[in-house]
Amino acid sequence: MTAQLNFQSNRINFSEFEHAFDQSLGQCLSSRLDELLKGKKIIFSSEDKNLVPVDGWGLRNIPYCTTPLTTIQPRMDNTTVCAMDSSTIQLAETEDGSLYGVKSGVVLSIGGHALIHFKIGPILFYLSEETIGHSQLDHRLAKLILIDSDFAKRLIRIRVERVIQMELSNNLSKSIILVDGSLKSSLFEEKKQNIKNVAENCLLKQNSMIGISKSSKLRILDRVSTPLAKIQGPAYMDVNLIIKSLVRNTVGDNLIAKFGNHNSPILRVDVVSCNSDKDEALGKLLANDSIACGYPETLRLAHHVSTFTYTEISCLRGHVLSNYDVIELASEDIRKTLLGSITV
Amino acid sequence: MKILSKNGNELIMLAMKTDIASKGDYLIIEDEKSKRKMIVQIYDEEYLSSQSLIEDIVKDEVVTASSIENLHDPLNIGNISKIIRDARVFRAKIRAAIDLSGKLSSDVTWLPSRVYSNVRRLRISELDMLIERRGVFPIPIGKARGDNEDFEVYAEDLDGKLNIITGKKESGKSHLSKILVKTLVQHGAFVIVFDLNNEYGGLAWNSDGSPSPIHEQIMVLEPGYGLRFSLAYCGKSAMYNMLKNALDMPSASLREFFRIWDYLENKQTLEVEAFGNAINTWNINELVRDALISRYHVIQSSRLFSNNRNEDGLIKFEDVISKKRKGTAIVISMGKATSIARRMIVELVLSKLIDLLEKVVIPPIFLFAEEAHLYVRDTYWEDIITRMRHFGIYTTFITNQPDAIGDGIYRQVDNIFLFNFTNDTDLDKISKVSLADNETIRSIVRTLPQRYCLSIGKVVCDLPIVVKTAPAEVLTLGETKKFFI
Repeated sequence: MTAQLNFQSNRINFSEFEHAFDQSLGQCLSSRLDELLKGKKIIFSSEDKNLVPVDGWGLRNIPYCTTPLTTIQPRMDNTTVCAMDSSTIQLAETEDGSLYGVKSGVVLSIGGHALIHFKIGPILFYLSEETIGHSQLDHRLAKLILIDSDFAKRLIRIRVERVIQMELSNNLSKSIILVDGSLKSSLFEEKKQNIKNVAENCLLKQNSMIGISKSSKLRILDRVSTPLAKIQGPAYMDVNLIIKSLVRNTVGDNLIAKFGNHNSPILRVDVVSCNSDKDEALGKLLANDSIACGYPETLRLAHHVSTFTYTEISCLRGHVLSNYDVIELASEDIRKTLLGSITV
Repeated sequence: MKILSKNGNELIMLAMKTDIASKGDYLIIEDEKSKRKMIVQIYDEEYLSSQSLIEDIVKDEVVTASSIENLHDPLNIGNISKIIRDARVFRAKIRAAIDLSGKLSSDVTWLPSRVYSNVRRLRISELDMLIERRGVFPIPIGKARGDNEDFEVYAEDLDGKLNIITGKKESGKSHLSKILVKTLVQHGAFVIVFDLNNEYGGLAWNSDGSPSPIHEQIMVLEPGYGLRFSLAYCGKSAMYNMLKNALDMPSASLREFFRIWDYLENKQTLEVEAFGNAINTWNINELVRDALISRYHVIQSSRLFSNNRNEDGLIKFEDVISKKRKGTAIVISMGKATSIARRMIVELVLSKLIDLLEKVVIPPIFLFAEEAHLYVRDTYWEDIITRMRHFGIYTTFITNQPDAIGDGIYRQVDNIFLFNFTNDTDLDKISKVSLADNETIRSIVRTLPQRYCLSIGKVVCDLPIVVKTAPAEVLTLGETKKFFI
């Protein structure tokens, strides 16, 4: 056995192999880390977590970016703040499709106090070639959705959110509708129920719609936000130009804002408001919602209302098994089976 | 209910809120595949709990506390979720199995199927049928917990047995003891009660003041009032025991005492007063005289002995028993007696009874001893549980101090009626020496309400059963005197 191994290894020249490896890979990906990383600030990444440095990157301001900084003054009048959020999960798979659950939360508050919340769902959707046909989606997009569950979850979430947002924008007036995430058109939207229609409704009913993103993939915003990090109180910066040049289909004014004090996070905020009066919309939000850790409490509550609990997931499984005449098959974690059970 | 897991000799069962069962209840697990059955007893009940479930409950509470909740839940998942949150876990001890021929078996080495087993509550009447618990002389002591079915033990299972009734103060011990005494008498048994709180006299009367069914069969004796002996009837042996064990008389003094006894017996003047005179004139060492005089005064002040051996009303147990052929309870009220007098009474009565039983003059008797540690000397316990059983004295101890009874007695005990204990020390003591397992005792007894008891031992064929004792029909005496009421 040992002789056989020696024979095999003698046939491979490892020094040549190493040389070829370095040369080929070095052309496209640099591994000269000592030069590249020297003096850099670093935070280590963690999968499925969105980590940001506590005190920001400490980047210098971009000299050519002269975006003015505006402080937000609370506007003391009784305006209803209505926040909504939703979440989706993939509950099960069948041989030709997948079963998804969606849950939404709508919270109404006024004068800084949450008054009432609506828990909508859990509701189940089954996506298969047959059902996706009714979704008015381009057939290639529909195929993608059937292949990739992340897209499918996004489709369901956007559709459900738009329905709720349409209802809220129709039924509320002179209120603030808070949405989790940016205000952006999506390929997954239905034609009649898209973000533009929601925004239009809002303007007709004199509502403001504010989309707040907890994180942004646009790294440029980190640099732009340096002055905002230094200011003590709530303030915002208009980043319309930057955002609109990088992202298509955004709705309303694009801002980066800080709702709390010195150490509060800087958030990307999209605002649709009457007469484009961002100051008024944000001022009313500050006055009528409780801001804890730099984030509106109403939106936080909507998030908690909309997230699935372990018990709910168990209940949904039980519901599916007992109501839809399905046959549960034994399943296994293929990664665990193939790679072993050593967890590192 | 479903089986979740097995741990040692216990099964862990999953139950929903609608599954009505409580601690102490029996469950029967019927394995549809193997056709075998297993009998288990619930000894503890908990919530089905996991970290995620707790997190969910906390989250929901926070959300609902923040604002008013409105639900749109088309699949009714919220309700199912509530059912899960209320799910319970029963811990049950495996007690027995039923084999393929339908007979009770102790072979519990097999495991019932988790998938194909049906679990249901077993009624006590069904359990009785399975374990073939039956008898001729029933003693209805109350109702089985949960079923509200009448529950009875059988006098045969108390016959020739050593029993203990224990529990904390005011948990219902004396109440059960009175039920046992009353029914034993109704069945024609002869019962002697050492009544420390003068409460058993109430057995002669109903709670409404009318005479009870055993009115004529209750005989209350108090020192000086009914409980009076002649020295001749007591005899040397009983007197020796009393002087030595209750009055700690030294051997030299005992010798002189019985010399005087013989002298007076020959003169046919064996009476207490004659004893006093003889002690004063007897030619003995002065120290011995002093010892005899001091004991003489104690004997006289106890009012247990008559000065006139021909006096009417002197107690003779054999006469009482022969007159009351239908059974009787001789209640020896010691509530007003001093501690020395109590010990004297117990020594005299027990010695005399042994004497009579040895000579087969009286039939076997049941002895009920309330707080016996207060008047029975330590070395006497062993006698009670070993020798006396053979003579025909079947004792029931009633105490709220389980640690006052030695381990030796517990090891000999046949039946225990356990009322509530919350004190850990008492529970420790009982659970270490009891006939049932530690977990069952600790968990069930700690949460027993007033008047509920856990019956363990021969009376329940070694399958512990929780019983709610029947309400008092007889007059309740011996209640605590209160200042404000």
